[in-house]
Amino acid sequence: MFSQLKARFGSGLAVGIVGMIAIWLVGMVILPQLLMVDYSFRPNLLPADIGGPKDTYSLTNYETLFSNQIHLKIFFKTIWSSVLVTTITLLVSYPIAFYLAKVATPQKAALCLLLLIIPFWINEILRTFSWYIILAYKGPLNALLLGLGIIDRPVRFLSGDGGVLIGMVYAYILFMIFPIYNAIESLDTNQIKAARNLGAGWIRTHWRVIIPHAKPGIATGCVMTFMLAAGSYAVPALLGSPGSRWFTQIIYNWFFEGGDWNQGAAYAFILLLMCIGFIALVMRVFKVGLGDIAK
Amino acid sequence: MDSSVHLDNIIMQFGDFTAIQKTDLKIESGEFFSFLGPSGCGKTTILNMISGFLDPSEGDIKIGGQSMHNVPANKRPTSMIFQNLALFPLMTVAENIEFGLEVRGVSKSERKKASDRLLELVALQGSGDKKVSELSGGQKQRIAIARALAVEPQVLLLDEPLSALDLKLRQHMRTELKEIQRKTGITFIYITHDQGEALTMSDRVAVMSAGKIQQVADPITLYRDPHTAFVASFVGENNGVRGKVIETNDTMTTLDCGPLGALKGRTQGALQLGDEATVFIRPEHFRLQSENGMHTLQAIIEEVNFEGAYLTLNANTSTDQTLSIQLGTHQFFEALKKGAAVSLSYKEEDAIVIAGYDHV
Repeated sequence: MFSQLKARFGSGLAVGIVGMIAIWLVGMVILPQLLMVDYSFRPNLLPADIGGPKDTYSLTNYETLFSNQIHLKIFFKTIWSSVLVTTITLLVSYPIAFYLAKVATPQKAALCLLLLIIPFWINEILRTFSWYIILAYKGPLNALLLGLGIIDRPVRFLSGDGGVLIGMVYAYILFMIFPIYNAIESLDTNQIKAARNLGAGWIRTHWRVIIPHAKPGIATGCVMTFMLAAGSYAVPALLGSPGSRWFTQIIYNWFFEGGDWNQGAAYAFILLLMCIGFIALVMRVFKVGLGDIAK
Repeated sequence: MDSSVHLDNIIMQFGDFTAIQKTDLKIESGEFFSFLGPSGCGKTTILNMISGFLDPSEGDIKIGGQSMHNVPANKRPTSMIFQNLALFPLMTVAENIEFGLEVRGVSKSERKKASDRLLELVALQGSGDKKVSELSGGQKQRIAIARALAVEPQVLLLDEPLSALDLKLRQHMRTELKEIQRKTGITFIYITHDQGEALTMSDRVAVMSAGKIQQVADPITLYRDPHTAFVASFVGENNGVRGKVIETNDTMTTLDCGPLGALKGRTQGALQLGDEATVFIRPEHFRLQSENGMHTLQAIIEEVNFEGAYLTLNANTSTDQTLSIQLGTHQFFEALKKGAAVSLSYKEEDAIVIAGYDHV
């Protein structure tokens, strides 16, 4: 690695590049994380007591979660809802990705991609607020459903999990569509024709030929969507409060309202561990390696 | 079983572009039939229509007498071998072969029997558990054939399946395909731009150009009696000399070919005095010695290639047309050197006169 860089840019520049990467990795990623790990094992003390006899390492902060029924419930709700968000996003994205990759003409595909991307030029808070307006009790969606006679009284989308699910599926759909689109795009169209030609209906063609090929893309999309959903703050804060609380909101509260960074850090690490566990599980289920995901 | 294929007055249009002009053609049950033509002539479009990936804009396709209108690709009694083979890379060889049977709900043990039998047919016994990527080009080719045969199709469609193979393997596979066709008795429809493949394997060949079938005939007739200038120049090597009809009857026609004089050949189709036409002379029909009733062309040798049993010459006429000549090496050839003048003679019944010109 280094010798390649040296051959290409000369030793001065190579040292510079590697040095900057090292500073960025060590100084901005590894050290702060290690500091947080350190925090998470120590009690929350007054500045005067830090370094004193009370400042000992323990698992107390981690145990807090398991003794607090409400927090524990929200923790599992967050994991479960994120799985749900990931599943719904996958179900919505796969047909779109397949359409874009194999059905649409190049012009139509380009137009659709543009239409999908443009809303994401607006920042997440504003997009979420627009859903806040759409889903409001007296908002346009309720008006439409009432007008069509599908419901006879407005639905409270915003005080439960429904609004959060809708908001998140919308917020993270691109992270699911693009990896799957890339994967399906790389499939030789003759493979689909061959399956059809041998008598396979559409469901079997997808199940036996297209989905196996797209598996790394599907796994990448699921991992990204799950991580983003589990770590999301804005969407549940805006669309779910107060009925649906997300674990990230509790972490936030420990840090900035409780002023207990040690406790917050412990909660954050529990969430991180859970997410890593989920990734490992997804990779196991889809039988893909890290190398496939990085493609 | 009737496994004939009838292209019943089909037309294929893509927007304003007519890919296939009105075609009515019947391919007999158990026939080895080829569509031969340059790329872009519409032969793959025909294959896509028979297999159900495209619907003709007009007309109907009948397989075994049954209309294929509204029959989707996965319900047709056809099976296709793709140009790039399109084997499923994530399945084993056996899974590839068994895929069509799996779709049809055939039990696992029956499928295994079928794939073993087919692997034997294509001489690849015991390769069932291999991955597709472990096979060589020729082996992949045979697996593609086995996979297509597994569903016991009435019609096997082959889309230039040999084009990716090297010459030696290609010639070997020709024999093998012909053999498989003989054994199975399935109707083979073969698409190619390689006339060697079409002529050696087929019972009949349809020569196509620009969405139109020029001639349908057995290989010998195609070579001896081409109906159009395109077929004459596309099938086999040929020398076409243009001229105007100055004398014609049902059997023989004479053309005025300007500085090259009057050249005579057999009449093909209807010709009128004054028509523009081309006289075609095959390279192997030229002789260096003139006998009675032979026509002669004067030319200057441009290139001499000794190929063992025969010799090929390129020679330029005074009108700067390059003629290609093939001579047996038993003929006197020491004097044939670049720049030497030669008199090239041919028998008038070996040449053929066809209306019009062709750009080939």
